[in-house]
Amino acid sequence: MPRLLSVVPLVFVVAASCGAPAPAPAAETTSKVGGSVTFVAMTDPDTLDLHQTSNPVSSTIFGWIYEPLVYQDLDNSYKGLLAESWTVSPDSKTITFKLRGGITFTDGSPFNAEAVKFTFERLQRLGAKSPIFETFKNVTSMEAKDDLTFVMNMKDPYAPIFHDLQVSYAGILSPKTVRAANDNISRTAIGTGPYSLKEFQTGQQITLERNPGYKWAPALYQNRGAPYVQELRYRVIAEPATQLAALDAGEVDVLGLRAQDLAKYANDARFRVYDSFTFGLTYLGFDAKRPPFDNAKLRAALARAVNKAEIVQVVFENKLAKAQCCPIAESIQGYDTRLKEFELTFDPARAKAELEALGYKAGADGLRTMPDGKPFKPVLYTTTSDTHGKIATLLQAQLKGVGVDLQVKQLESGALLAATPKAEHDLYLNGYSWNEPDMFSLFLSCDRVTSSNRVLYCNGDLEKLIKAGRTELDQARRMQIYYDAQKLTMQEAPWQPLYMPVSKTAVNAKVLDLKQGQAGGLYWHDAWLKK
Amino acid sequence: MFRYVLRRLMLAVPVLLGVSICVLLMASLVPGDPATVLAGDTASAEQVERIRRDLGLDQPIPIQYLRFLERLAHGSLGESTRTHREVLLEITDRFPYTLALALGAVVVSTILGIAMGIFAAVRRGRAADYLTMGIAIVGLSVPTFWIALLGIIVFSLNLHWLPVTGARSPQSYILPIFALSLHSAAVKARITRSSMLEVFGQDYLRTARAKGLRERVVLLRHALKNALIPISTIIGLQFGSLLGGAFIIETIFGWPGIGRLAVQAIFNRDFPLIQGTVLVGAVTYMLANLAVDIVYAWLDPRIRYS
Repeated sequence: MPRLLSVVPLVFVVAASCGAPAPAPAAETTSKVGGSVTFVAMTDPDTLDLHQTSNPVSSTIFGWIYEPLVYQDLDNSYKGLLAESWTVSPDSKTITFKLRGGITFTDGSPFNAEAVKFTFERLQRLGAKSPIFETFKNVTSMEAKDDLTFVMNMKDPYAPIFHDLQVSYAGILSPKTVRAANDNISRTAIGTGPYSLKEFQTGQQITLERNPGYKWAPALYQNRGAPYVQELRYRVIAEPATQLAALDAGEVDVLGLRAQDLAKYANDARFRVYDSFTFGLTYLGFDAKRPPFDNAKLRAALARAVNKAEIVQVVFENKLAKAQCCPIAESIQGYDTRLKEFELTFDPARAKAELEALGYKAGADGLRTMPDGKPFKPVLYTTTSDTHGKIATLLQAQLKGVGVDLQVKQLESGALLAATPKAEHDLYLNGYSWNEPDMFSLFLSCDRVTSSNRVLYCNGDLEKLIKAGRTELDQARRMQIYYDAQKLTMQEAPWQPLYMPVSKTAVNAKVLDLKQGQAGGLYWHDAWLKK
Repeated sequence: MFRYVLRRLMLAVPVLLGVSICVLLMASLVPGDPATVLAGDTASAEQVERIRRDLGLDQPIPIQYLRFLERLAHGSLGESTRTHREVLLEITDRFPYTLALALGAVVVSTILGIAMGIFAAVRRGRAADYLTMGIAIVGLSVPTFWIALLGIIVFSLNLHWLPVTGARSPQSYILPIFALSLHSAAVKARITRSSMLEVFGQDYLRTARAKGLRERVVLLRHALKNALIPISTIIGLQFGSLLGGAFIIETIFGWPGIGRLAVQAIFNRDFPLIQGTVLVGAVTYMLANLAVDIVYAWLDPRIRYS
């Protein structure tokens, strides 16, 4: 189940400024303020409690209301947002943040080091469902040294800390509101962000309204004050056909498009279509723990039977995906073009020869049997999504080309999550979304073979590299570690990387000055609506 | 009559307990538990275990059921594992929308179905009869989701009369109610027609006509009232399926009803919410059928409950 964590499509992305805020001229600002933009949400956010969810809709809403200490800039570097600057101790175990002054929560209370400490301690106490819960297990103590100095002490150096501190789940809460609500903030959300929660109509719509007091917008934008768009609405529509009808009828202004709808909207003057990459990758995995796929040679042989270009062309019409060579997608730090030489490229003749050499002989019907004479019918597990269904069908045909009779089992996500740690599958088709090379520790480490490592792959050499990558703070050395980790993974083939999803979003042409990011989303803070 | 109603209501208690046990057993058989789903695809085994413990899922099923009963005795259906809100609150937020949809569909389908049924019965064997019953067959055969999407294309996108989604205005009720009504209107039309034809052969109808009553009075007061008994049975039974079938309509129209809530609860393995929505569905269904039984007595004075 690909989950968008670091940057969700269309999230409001904010960047820090070094200088003092310089609001745009008053007259211009006033003339641009107003109107509303309506987005689509597949479901309600399950809760607005920042620490008790890993739900993507909730995460999107948090992106507008809450702000974290740091953010990831367009060049993938980390810059201060609520933090002005920071220093890291020589042993890399202590980070001292200097916080930005003069910031207030939308309940009027001031933002300070106490609020940061309160928020992260609450995360440690209640956040078992949060994607950054594990990160904070490494944090041994936190201190509000003075009003604007926050100190975080860690057990071990942890290189991905800034990534984990910039996700929307790491936003800072208003202690005043949380205490007043007796810790129950499932329907309350008070942050420092450019928007605040106006209304939560269960099952229908979430309405956010502009925070008029917001004046710490980053230098990335021309508009340094409050956003221009008065209201943002998230309308809950689960059915794709209805989502399109709502877009056509003007009930919705922004919608991610499917391949089959692209042509229609690209030529419709009422909309503009924006492109963005996602920080993720879909892969074909092999259950590396259990025979027969504990054999790296067999995994490599099957990987060579996979035609990525055909998948991207047939399923995505060459528009909504880009074939990938390596475990780290090209949108994510750590991607290295030098690794292409290790890619197990599509070569059916070689796949057949390797299968023969391994004792998988083809019968009269062209289908192979295992070395012990039993039919070779590996089972692929994947989600019930349409896209995964289409890819699975294509993989069936591609593997049949080399004599492998692939069986496909599509499972609803809860059942799939439960099935994989039990190693019920032979092959696994799914994706990850994690804008950090440390995705290795989540999806390919020995520690996670009973949970998020869905291919149950455990390799001592890779494990050492993963651990080294987590603690190495020198950027160049760290990237070399991930080069080695990727090379090893590509040679061992627990995964055959397939493609990086690309999103195409139709936005109503009434929205002006919407910035298109290099990757991962649209930038809304300068956007205003044609009257 | 009062004692009869009371007895029926008391009988509902063991039925509901049975339903709740069945739901718990079925939910525990579904692969994937709430902790796995809640933790998401990046969680560690330790995280999943901690959530499982926090939710009390590490306890044996009988203990979990006793805890549910204990909460129920205090008037609570528990807290949703997903939203951390009281299940009752989740349901009361959404149930009125589904009830409005189901009641609206009952009213529309009953009026439409009975009108079509009478019209066809009166013109038995003529072109109008075949045409009406042909329309009913189409109504029975066409899937609800197709009618719903067609309705959106015609009335929302082409004519701009009605909104596509949501329940924000009175107009937004029209398309979902009609889409949900058509199938049951077709069933009611066919039942009405055959009941009316059966009644047409009765002596009392000949007597009514012989008395010189107007045909309209004969039809509506004498024939229809007697033909209504099987129709009212169908109304009661269909009410349940309208509540259940509302899920598709709710999904298509982005309707904030309980059908979608229940299905999401199943996907999320949100046991307290599954339990709550099923119990509310069961209570509604039983009340609807009790109401039908009471209507029987009004329709046919010979029926008496003791």
